[in-house]
Amino acid sequence: MTVFALQAKDIVVSAQIDGNVVPAIRGLSFDLPPGKILGLVGESGAGKSMIGRAIAQLLPSGFEITAGSLVFEGEDLLQMPAARRRALLGRAIAFIPQQPMTALNPVMMIGAQFDEHLARLGEEGREKRRERAVAALTAARLPQAGDLLRQYPHQLSGGMCQRVLIAFAFSSNPRLVIADEPTTALDVTIHPQILRLVAEMQREHATAVIFITHDLRLAAQLCDEVVVMYAGRAIESGPARSILSKPAHPYTRCLQLANPSLREERQALYVMPDQMPSLRQLKGMTGCHFAPRCPLVTVECRQAEPPNVAVAANHNVACIHAAGVPNIGTTEAAPVAPKTSARIVLQVEKLQKHYSVGGGLFGGAQKFEAVKEASFSIAENEFVALVGQSGSGKSTIAKLLVGLEQPTGGQILLNGDDLTDRSERTRARRAVRLQMVFQDPQSALNPRRRIASIVTQAMEAGSRHASWDKRLARTRELLAEVGLSTDIGPRLPGQLSGGQRQRVNIARALCNIPKILVADEIVSGLDVSIQAQLLALLARLRAELGFGMLFISHDLSVVRHLCSRVLVMYRGEIVEQGPTDTVFSNPQHPHTRALVSSVPPDDPLAPWPALNPVVATGEPVSA
Amino acid sequence: MPSALSRSLRSPRVLIALGMILCILLCAIFAGRIAPNDPSDQNLLAILAPPAWIDGGDPAYPLGTDSLGRCVLSRLIYGARTAMLVAFFASLGAMIIGSILAHISGYFGGTTDWIIGRLVDIWMSFPPVILSLILMVGLGVGLDRVILAIILVDWTRFCRVLRSEVLIVTRHDYVSAARLLGFTHWQAIAREVLPATLPLLITLVSLEMAIAVIVEAILSFVGLGVGADQAAWGQMIADARQYVYQSPWNLLLPAIAIFLTVAAFNLLGDGLRRTLDVRLAESGR
Repeated sequence: MTVFALQAKDIVVSAQIDGNVVPAIRGLSFDLPPGKILGLVGESGAGKSMIGRAIAQLLPSGFEITAGSLVFEGEDLLQMPAARRRALLGRAIAFIPQQPMTALNPVMMIGAQFDEHLARLGEEGREKRRERAVAALTAARLPQAGDLLRQYPHQLSGGMCQRVLIAFAFSSNPRLVIADEPTTALDVTIHPQILRLVAEMQREHATAVIFITHDLRLAAQLCDEVVVMYAGRAIESGPARSILSKPAHPYTRCLQLANPSLREERQALYVMPDQMPSLRQLKGMTGCHFAPRCPLVTVECRQAEPPNVAVAANHNVACIHAAGVPNIGTTEAAPVAPKTSARIVLQVEKLQKHYSVGGGLFGGAQKFEAVKEASFSIAENEFVALVGQSGSGKSTIAKLLVGLEQPTGGQILLNGDDLTDRSERTRARRAVRLQMVFQDPQSALNPRRRIASIVTQAMEAGSRHASWDKRLARTRELLAEVGLSTDIGPRLPGQLSGGQRQRVNIARALCNIPKILVADEIVSGLDVSIQAQLLALLARLRAELGFGMLFISHDLSVVRHLCSRVLVMYRGEIVEQGPTDTVFSNPQHPHTRALVSSVPPDDPLAPWPALNPVVATGEPVSA
Repeated sequence: MPSALSRSLRSPRVLIALGMILCILLCAIFAGRIAPNDPSDQNLLAILAPPAWIDGGDPAYPLGTDSLGRCVLSRLIYGARTAMLVAFFASLGAMIIGSILAHISGYFGGTTDWIIGRLVDIWMSFPPVILSLILMVGLGVGLDRVILAIILVDWTRFCRVLRSEVLIVTRHDYVSAARLLGFTHWQAIAREVLPATLPLLITLVSLEMAIAVIVEAILSFVGLGVGADQAAWGQMIADARQYVYQSPWNLLLPAIAIFLTVAAFNLLGDGLRRTLDVRLAESGR
C-alpha cells in the first residue's frame, strides 16, 4: 500500500448559519500521492479553500470539521495534538498565500524574516542560515539574492514577493505544499513565471502540492489530478487532462463553455442561469445541488443526491446523466464588429497625463508620465478594449475620459465637443453622454441607498429633481434592461449577490442612455459563470441601446469575445492597436506577445509554451 | 441603515443614558415649577442648613442652604438649566463648525485639507481650558459667552476626528460615481458622504455634551462662567469650598449632579458608538 502525502476521507465541514448547522463541505475525499499536484477547482463559494484552511486550523468562525479524516503521511491531522500539528505546519506542510504583498511583514527586511524562519526550522548559526537563504532565493530564480536580503517587502514587486514566499515555502523541504490561488493577485504576464517556478520547485523537491484555483485551463496544464467542486461537494475528480478534455459532469462542461477562448473560433458563451447556491440556500435543498442550473436536469435529479460513479479509470463523477454531457454545446457567436458605416463618437487626440512624484518642501519633484500621447477613437456601437498590465496607465485613461482627472495635454472630443475644459457646463453635458462603470460594485454602490435610488441617481443630479413616480418607472425599465427582477428596487446593495450588484452598477450608468461607456475591469472580480452572464448582457445592451464602450481588462479571452478592436498599453503608451483577432493571432509588440502567451491554451492536451521555459519575459515595472 | 436607530434604542446603555438625560432635561425645562424656592432668595437666618433629613434641617429646604441661605435644591435645579443650555448649544455649534470644515477638508483634500489641517494643529496646541479662560476674559461673563467660548475651543475635536472618516468615505467609488452622474460637490457631500459620517457625528455630539458640561463647570468655578445672578453647578462648588468642613453637602451635591450628567452623556455616546458604528456592531463588540 502506498503512503499518500495527504488522504482526505469523507470530510464534512459544518457551518453555523442563523442557528442552523449547514454542511459547507459534504463528504470530500481525495488521495494525493507524494510528488503529485492536485488541483481543487471551483468558483468562489464552492468550498475549495476550506481544505487548506482546515489543515492550517484557520477555518472562519462558525465553521468546523465535524466528520472525516485528513491523513498526512499516516497520521490524522484532525486527531493529533495541537502541538504536534503546529510542529508540522511550516515545516513538513508549507503554504503559498494568495496575497504575497500582505503575507510578508512590511517592517522587517526579507533577510530577517528568512532568518527567523530558518531558525525556527532548527538551522544553527547565523552565517549558515544566511547561506541557506541565499541558496533558496537563488533557486526561486531571484537574482542578487544577497542584496535582496537587505530589502523590505515594499521595495519588491508582487511577483518578486511571491517568489520570496515560494522560496520560504520550499526551504523546509516540505512534503506537502498548499498553494491557494497563488497568481490571482498578480499581473497576468507574471502568471506563467510563478506557475513555472511552483512546478519546477515541486519537481525538484518531489513535493505533493494542493493547487487551489478557479481556472480550469490552468489546472489542466499544471495539475496531475483535479477535483472539481460545486456547492461543497466534489462533483468530478480524476486525472486532470482527461477530465478537462472529456468532462463528464454538466457543470464542468458548462464552466468550460462559459469561459471565452483566446485562440479558437469565437463561440457564444454558455450562460448558466442564476448562481451557485449560498450556504443559506443549501439548507433546504434536496437532490443534486446543480439541478436548478443544469441543462440535463430531469425529475430524478431533484429527488436524491447523485452517487459517485466511475466513468473511466480513476475518473469519478456525481451525475446520473454523465452520458449526455458531450451533447451540451453552444452556437456560433454573433459578430462583434460594428457596421462599417458607424460614425466616430469619441475621438481622443494626443492625450497626456503627467504626475509629479516625490518632491516635498526641499526635494525637487520628478515627472512621471502616466499617459504619454494616447490617440484612439471609438465609433457608435463599437466596443474597444484597452489591455495592459497594472500600472500601464489603463485606469488613468478611464479617469481622464470621465473627468475624474484633468489631462496635462491633448483633446477628448465627444461628437466634436472638447471635454477637456473644466467648466460646469461641460461636466453636465458629459454626465449625460459619457458614463463609467466602476470595477468594484462593493465600493461603487452606496450601501445606504436603495437599489431604486441608485439606478436613477442621475435623475437627482444638479438641478434635476424627478418625482418618485418617474424614478420608480425608470427603475423598472432599467432593472428589466439589465435582467434583474423589479422587486429588488427597495433593497440595499448589501442584500444582493456580486453579479446582481454589478448589474445594478451597469444600470446606473445607463440611466441617461449614454453614447459612450467606460468600463474598468467590470467582470474581473466575478466567477466564470457570472462573467458569462454579464458578457451576454453587455452584448445584448449593445444591440439594443447602441452605445460604444471602452472596455478595460487584463483578460484577453474576455476582450476577444466582446470587443472588435483592442488597444495594448505598456508603460503609458499605446504600443499596439488593431482588430482584436489580428492583434491576438499575430502580436507585434513584445508586451502583447507576453500577454498572449500568458493565457493557457483551451485544449487541455495542447502544450503551453509559457509553462515550459523557452520564452523569457522581463519582470514588468509597476508604478 | 434602517435598523440602526431601532438597534440603538434596544441597547441598555442608550436607554439608561436617555432616561437620565430626560430627567435632567425635565428639571431644566420645568425648573420654575419644580424648584421649592427662588434660587437667588437669601435667608440669612438659615445659612448652611443641612438637608432636611439630618438634625437641624429645615423642611422648607429639602437639601439645605448655602452660605447665603439660598435653597440648594432649587439652585441645583436651576443649575441643570444652565448646564443643559450650554451642553446643547455649545456642542451643536462646535459640531456645525467642526463638521463643515471636516467635510470640506476630507472631501476636497490637497491644499484645502492642508490649510484646515494646520489651522486645527495651531488651534489644538493651546491648552483647551487656558484658551477658554482667555476667551472668557476677552468676551466677558454670561451664558452666551460660555457657549461661544466652548464652541471656539472644541470645534477642532470634531474636525480632526470626522476628517479621517470623511477621507475614508470619499475614497469609495460611489462618491466619484455621483460626481460623474452630474452631482455638484455639495450634493455629493450632502447625499453621499454625510449619511455615512452621521453615526460618528451623532456619537461625537453626545460626547461633546459631556465635555461642555465639564468646561462650563470649570469656568463657573473660577468665576468666569455665567453671571453671578444665574445658578450654575461650578459656581455652587466654588461657593461651598470655604465651608466644606461645616457643610460638606454643599460641595458634594453639585459635584454629584455634574458627575451624573457627564456619566449619562458619556454612556449615551458609548452606546451610540457601539450600535451605530457598523464595524463595531457586526463584530459583536
